[in-house]
Amino acid sequence: MPILVQIEALRKQFGSVSALDGVSLSISEGEWIAIMGPSGSGKTTLINIIGGLDTPTSGHAIVGGTDVARLDEAGLTRFRAEKIGFIFQQFHLVPYLSALENVMLAQYFHSSTDEAEARAALDRVGLAARAEHLPGKLSGGEQQRVAVARALINHPKLILADEPTGNLDEANEKTVIRLLRELHAEGHTILMVTHDAAIGALAGRRIELAHGRLAQVTATTL
Amino acid sequence: MFGRLLWRLLQGSRGRLIIALVALISGGAVISSLLNLDLDASRKLTREFRRFGANLVVTPQRGFAAPQSAAGASIPGSEIAGSGAPALMDQNAAMAGIEAARAPEFVAAAPFLYVTARSAGTDVVVAGAWLDEMPQIAPAWKIEGQGISARDDLAHCMIGHNVASQLHLAPGAALELDYMQRSVRLAIAGVVEAGGAEDNQVFVNLPVAQRLAALPGRIQLVEITAAGNARAISGYAARLAQALPGYQVRPIRQMAQAEGDLLARIQSLIVWMVALILALTALCVLATMSALAMERRNDVGLMKALGGSISRIVGLFLAEIGVLGAAGGIIGAAAGIALSRWMGQRVFHAPISARWEVFPLTIALMIGISLAAALPLRMLGKIKPAVILRGE
Repeated sequence: MPILVQIEALRKQFGSVSALDGVSLSISEGEWIAIMGPSGSGKTTLINIIGGLDTPTSGHAIVGGTDVARLDEAGLTRFRAEKIGFIFQQFHLVPYLSALENVMLAQYFHSSTDEAEARAALDRVGLAARAEHLPGKLSGGEQQRVAVARALINHPKLILADEPTGNLDEANEKTVIRLLRELHAEGHTILMVTHDAAIGALAGRRIELAHGRLAQVTATTL
Repeated sequence: MFGRLLWRLLQGSRGRLIIALVALISGGAVISSLLNLDLDASRKLTREFRRFGANLVVTPQRGFAAPQSAAGASIPGSEIAGSGAPALMDQNAAMAGIEAARAPEFVAAAPFLYVTARSAGTDVVVAGAWLDEMPQIAPAWKIEGQGISARDDLAHCMIGHNVASQLHLAPGAALELDYMQRSVRLAIAGVVEAGGAEDNQVFVNLPVAQRLAALPGRIQLVEITAAGNARAISGYAARLAQALPGYQVRPIRQMAQAEGDLLARIQSLIVWMVALILALTALCVLATMSALAMERRNDVGLMKALGGSISRIVGLFLAEIGVLGAAGGIIGAAAGIALSRWMGQRVFHAPISARWEVFPLTIALMIGISLAAALPLRMLGKIKPAVILRGE
């Protein structure tokens, strides 16, 4: 499979703290990668840089042929809108928008909105009946499913999931994992940060970070 | 989607936005009431001053101190019947010049010739004029009996209230006027009460006075009523003076000055008050917007993470503030006009009319002040999505 993400000697300094220290790796299209490691190992920093939410101190993060490190603020914004689907641990839904509008918001920033498509995305995650509900009226699992629908709506090349099940109970965790499996089966490339070894084992490859460095890469069999 | 997002934003922060809206409505109400009072008071004052009648007088270049005219102006050359040499103008030339310089400010003009004649053994000042123009030249006159509506009516006259008392005359009676060896007998159409020098005068149509004085085609002055504010009238007077070389065009200064001074003072006061209220409203909206910008940091960080450009995000918030400003302006303007009408009745004991131009002006001011007070939203541009998503 062609390479979708190419990371070369990536470094990120926060003052005197080195969050990433010369990380290099490549991810092929359609791969499901789990990034693991203890707190402070640089997992979130890595996917933030790959997703264009942060910029590296040095090195390159080439995603779909675009070197994220070379993009300016406007370029990063466009890159995020067009190429990345985010799923966050804290869900991060806009509290005064309904589930449907939260999904449509991603469409709005990408290009134009299509309510029918947004409803279909919610239907896919089992929330068709909750489309008009505000996030405050949804359970944690439902909110995360809205976030999954939002991440999918613009057909991104890469889905970045930062501890997507970290705040969920077991039942909702299973639902979200099932959705990620389906997305992977459809050919989506997924880069997932997790602390949970069992969830990490579901990925095709596990990348372990320690002190900002690549500690281990393990291929798993699904 | 834009409208949908806008509506949700308005709903989502309605607590804070209501505070800003109340400030905008209050500011808009006070500003629109002041502007309405200003515009309507100017119109009313101008109209009130116009009720005093003529406000310009055209005389020959040479003038003399003299008794007062119908509008209270000094009458140069009124010694026609006395010892001084008369200063006279050619009626046709003067009226043709005035006609040539006719401007939108022009309302009416009347030529005058004064003669001091005798009646029943008493001296009376006879004012010859175009009496059909007197309703415009001296609108404040109270007439008992009839006015004279045609300038070619040579059989009737009007007499001042004091003349009527002194000579025991009433409408319908006959009045005989003698000057030199000439005399004229006229029927009294009405008695004029003006509260000024006119109460001591007899008013005849101009040809009667000219015949009595044996000065056909000659006049001493022309009184003109012009409409508009003091500046417009001064401008018209200047243009008239240019069109009438050899004549002197003077405003009846006391009145024009009083009007101008009063309007200038009112307008200056209102401008300062409007500026002060705008500043206070802006401060209130600014405080609300600062709090709102802080409150929305997370939303903006998330929107940026999802690929929302800062111009699109801030544009959304500016539209929200603009809607708020427009709503404040519309409600405030309506409330302000009601307030000014109430103030007109309670404070000035005069009805104040709604001036519709105040509406767009107030709405534009409120939108402008809202957008200016949205300055804290600039800080949203500096938000780093990664920092927000980390929960910092």
